[in-house]
This record gives sequence, C-alpha cells and structure tokens, in this order.
Amino acid sequence: MAFSADIWVQAAAYLGAGFAIGFGAIGAALGEGYAAGNASRAIGKNPAMSGAILKNMLIGQAVAESAGIFALVIAMLLAFIGTEGAPLIKAFALMGSGLAMGLSAIGSGAGSGFPAAEACVGIAENPSTQGTLTTNMLIGSAVSQTPAIFGMVVAFMLMFIDWSGQPLWPGWAAVLGAGLAVGLAAIGSGVGSGMPAGAATAGIARQPSAATTIRTNMLIGSAVSQTPAIFGMVVAFMLMFIDWSTSPPWPTWAALLGAGLATGLSAIGPGIGNGFTAQEAAAGIARVPEASGPVTTTMLIGQTVAQSTVIYGFLVSLILLFIPREASEAMTAWVAPLSAGICMGFGGIGPGVGEGLAAAYTVNRIAKFHEEQSVLLTRVMLVGQAVSESTGIYSLIVALLLLFVI
Amino acid sequence: MNDLTNVPHWYLSLGGLTLEFNSETLIMSWLVMAIIIAFGWLATRKLTFLPGPWQTLGEVMVSAFEGLVNDALDEGNRHYFPLIITIFLFVWLSNMLGVIPGLSEPTKDLNTPLAYGILGFFIAHYAGIKTKGIKAYLNEYIQPMFFMAPLNIIGELSKVVSISFRLYGNIMGGSIIILVVSDLVYGLVLPPLLNAFFGIFVGTIQAFVFTMLTLVYISVQTK
Repeated sequence: MAFSADIWVQAAAYLGAGFAIGFGAIGAALGEGYAAGNASRAIGKNPAMSGAILKNMLIGQAVAESAGIFALVIAMLLAFIGTEGAPLIKAFALMGSGLAMGLSAIGSGAGSGFPAAEACVGIAENPSTQGTLTTNMLIGSAVSQTPAIFGMVVAFMLMFIDWSGQPLWPGWAAVLGAGLAVGLAAIGSGVGSGMPAGAATAGIARQPSAATTIRTNMLIGSAVSQTPAIFGMVVAFMLMFIDWSTSPPWPTWAALLGAGLATGLSAIGPGIGNGFTAQEAAAGIARVPEASGPVTTTMLIGQTVAQSTVIYGFLVSLILLFIPREASEAMTAWVAPLSAGICMGFGGIGPGVGEGLAAAYTVNRIAKFHEEQSVLLTRVMLVGQAVSESTGIYSLIVALLLLFVI
Repeated sequence: MNDLTNVPHWYLSLGGLTLEFNSETLIMSWLVMAIIIAFGWLATRKLTFLPGPWQTLGEVMVSAFEGLVNDALDEGNRHYFPLIITIFLFVWLSNMLGVIPGLSEPTKDLNTPLAYGILGFFIAHYAGIKTKGIKAYLNEYIQPMFFMAPLNIIGELSKVVSISFRLYGNIMGGSIIILVVSDLVYGLVLPPLLNAFFGIFVGTIQAFVFTMLTLVYISVQTK
C-alpha cells in the first residue's frame, strides 16, 4: 500500500490535534481545581459569604479555562484542516503547531488558578473588598495567559503559512523546533506570572488601601516573568522565517532542533524563579506599602540575574542557528549540536528556579527592613545567585565544548 | 462543519489594488455601532432629574465604570473614561450578538480585536508621553539595564498580541464548541445552555477583561 504525502500530512494533523488538547487540558484543569479547593476552604471559614465566593470561583474558573479553550481551538482547526497537495514538511509544521499550543497552555492554565484561589480566600477574610478582588483576579488571570497566547500565535503561523518554500531537510526540524521552543518556554512563564497575581490578590484583601501600588507591582512582576517565554518566541520566529535551503541538510537539522530545545527548556526555570521573586515582592508591598520603591528595584535586579540561564540558552541557540556547519553525515557531526542544545536546556532549569528563590527571600526581608538592610541584603543575594548559577555555567561550558572543540 | 473555514468576502478594487473585506464582520460591526448609537440617543434624549428607564440604564453603566477608572487613573487622565466605557460597550455587545441565531460576533474575526488592541496601545503610549514627557518615557525602556531595551520593546508589542488574541481565542473557541456540539446532538437541548455559558458568561467576562487591560495599560504608562 503506497502512501502519498497527503496521508502523512493528514495523520500528522490528527497527531497535532491530540498533542494540542491533550497537553493543553493539563494546566487549566489544575488551575480550576486549585481555585475550587480554595473556594471550599474559604466558604468553610466564612459561610455567610458563600454566594459571593461561589460566584467569584465560577468567574475565576471561566477565565482559567481560557488556556484550555485556546488549545481546543487549535485542536479543532488541526482536525478539520485541508491537506490536499500539501508538501511533506507541512506534516511537521502541524505537529509543531499542536506541540506549541499544548505545551504553552500547561503553565498558563495552572498559573491563572492562583489569583482565582486567592480571590476566593480574600472574600472570606475581608468581604468588603469583594469588587476590587474580582477585578484584580480578572486582570491577574488574564495577564498570566499571555504565554499561552504566544504559543497560540506560533501555532497559527505553523498551521497557515505556506511552507513549500522551505526544503524538507532541514526544514522539518526548524518547524518542529519552533513549536517546541515556544511551547516549552511558556510553561515556566505561565506558572511564574500567575504567582505574583495570586500574592497581589491576597495582599489587596489584607491592605485594600494600597490596591493600586500592589497591582502596579503585580503587573511589572508578571511582565518580567514572561520574558523567558518571549525568548522562546523569538527563537521560534527565527527558526520559522530564516531560509534554510542553502544550509547542508546534515547536520543542520540537529542544530535547529537543538536550538529550539536549548531556549525552550532553559526558559522553564527562570520563568518559575521570576514568579517566586515577584510573588514575594507583591506580598511584601501588601504588608509594607511604603517599601514599594526598594522592593521593586531589588525584585527587578533579582529577576534579571535569575534570567541569566535563559540568556545562556538563547546564546547557545544563536550559535546553533547562525554558525555555518560543514556538510557531514557522520554521527558525531549531528549528535554534538543536538546534545549541546539539550545540555544547555536542562542545565538552565535548576539555576533559574534557585536564583529566583534566593531573590524571593531577599525581597521578602527587604520589604520588612527596607531602611537598614537593603544594601547588605542585595549584596548577599547577588553572591548567592552567582554561586547557584555556577551549575548553569557548567552546562554552558559543556555545550560550548560540544559545539566548538569536539 | 465547513462553516469553520468559510469566510464570506467582499472585494473592492482601488487603482490596481484589490482590497478584501470580510462582509460578515463588517455588517455585524455596523449593527453593533447602530445599537450603541440608538442606545446613546435614547438614554440622553430627555435628561431629567427623575430618570426614565433608558437614562437609568445609562447611569448605572456610567457609575459602575467611573469607580474603576477613578481607581486606576490619576486626576489628569480621567478624560479617557468615555473611551474605556465605549470599548466595553462595543466588545460586550459584539460578544452578545452570537447568542442571537443568524447573527455572529464581529470579535470572532481576529481583525476586530486586533484593531482595538492597536488602538489601546497607541492611546496608552500617547498618554504616557504626554504625562511623563518624552525623556522619562524613553528612559523606561532601558530599565533595569540598557541591554534589556530590545526585550522591553518586544514586551510592549506583545501586549497588543496578547490582548487581541485572548479575546479572539475565547470567542472563536466558544463558537467552535457550540458548532461542534450542535452538530453532534442535532441541535437538541445542549446548544442553548452552551450559548448561555460561552456567549453570555464568557463573553461578558472577556469584554470586561479586555476593557480592564486597556485601562491598566494606560494606567501603567502614566505612572
């Protein structure tokens, strides 16, 4: 039985649809369950407010479901897309499309559960702030969906752009790598931008008079937590729009896949780490609103340093994308760049989270004692982060060894 | 199921250039505009101390949004209030249209949310430059360190993408679910319930989220 390209593309579309909604349903379900659990806890604390808490929970869950709905849109489009006469590279683009959407929805779905849960608890503790809490929850949940939206944009591009201009080799790795880069990178940022939203919502319930300051800090913290996802999106765009027809198919395909994995994986850690830092900053400002200046500054410094591993990942991706390779079908020639990408990608996860935690506890302390300890604590934080970063640097060194020496 | 990819088009030739319009989106947007203009006329036709039904409805909406805008914006920037409430009314009514059989949401077409996202983006940056001055405005792009400038610019641009795709994805997702489920159950029992959830409930929440984010973008720029 002979297979034409059409059938492979059709099969890949179904596979992509499965990836999209299969992965995409994970996060939204977690987030909504977390919100429901906390709503029950809140009603137990303050049964008189049960109606308002239930209403707030339903609104929060409806927003948290967005990421799942985005995944559903992509899955349905993939299931019904026309594939007549499509070139074989389209098969990989459609799989990449499903992966981009499915993976990127994991973090955002889980992240938008945090503000929904905290808003329910907040209404139980301080019923008079109900309106402000619901508004802040909506803004916070909506902002933490941004990484999933990046994934959706790339998924649409992979689905609808005409890929016949790209050669199958190494083009297939470029489109698949683009999907992986943005999908993986969005996981950490999605969770990370939900954390400050949750802390800010809880903070507003405790300190309603500082609502505007807290919300501004929440928006800054969430936006910085999304930077790793933006790195992933930039790499995805480069993979999609550079013309690969002049590069030798072997071993360029391995370099392209490696480039996607390096930034995608290494962005997970910094995204979550930045979220921890921003969470403590929002909570700290809610406790001591007058410390908002030093707290925001320390948060930004801590987050920027914690992002260094994704910057290493981005650097490795750029080397993999732009340094020309000689044509060679030897096994070492393609295993080395792929391994370099994977090595830097996984190596970036731990330091990103660790440095974010270091910055988080520093910010927490500075919020309490901002007048006397600010400078000392910032110094200690930077030293601690540098030490925690050393493992990320080891990964970078090994990646560079794999690329240039071996 | 072919409705998913079937888009009705109008073509207009202008000096060698062929412009392509999605006729459904255009007609539905005009319908929404007509409803808003009619409502504005009815509500303000005879302003009295004891308000009539239309005036009451208008006053309820204005006072509900006034508090939100006053919380978010400083004294000097409150003149953006009419813009904010107009965006809400337009997006909300657009989302509601889908509930009525035979009509469709203009927000289901990505171009509508994108137009409003770009509008909000330019207004926010204009407000920022006007309030802080061009120097302080540009200085924000090199925070916390100068090499972060390209990322800050991408971050600003990604706000347009995120605000418009969020609305589009939710409305499009709702209508796809309604379409698929209606097809599966031959239009029995479930579609009205789904319309109530995705059309009215999610539609209202997303219209509010879109409006609040536009407001927050202006508020962040003017701080």
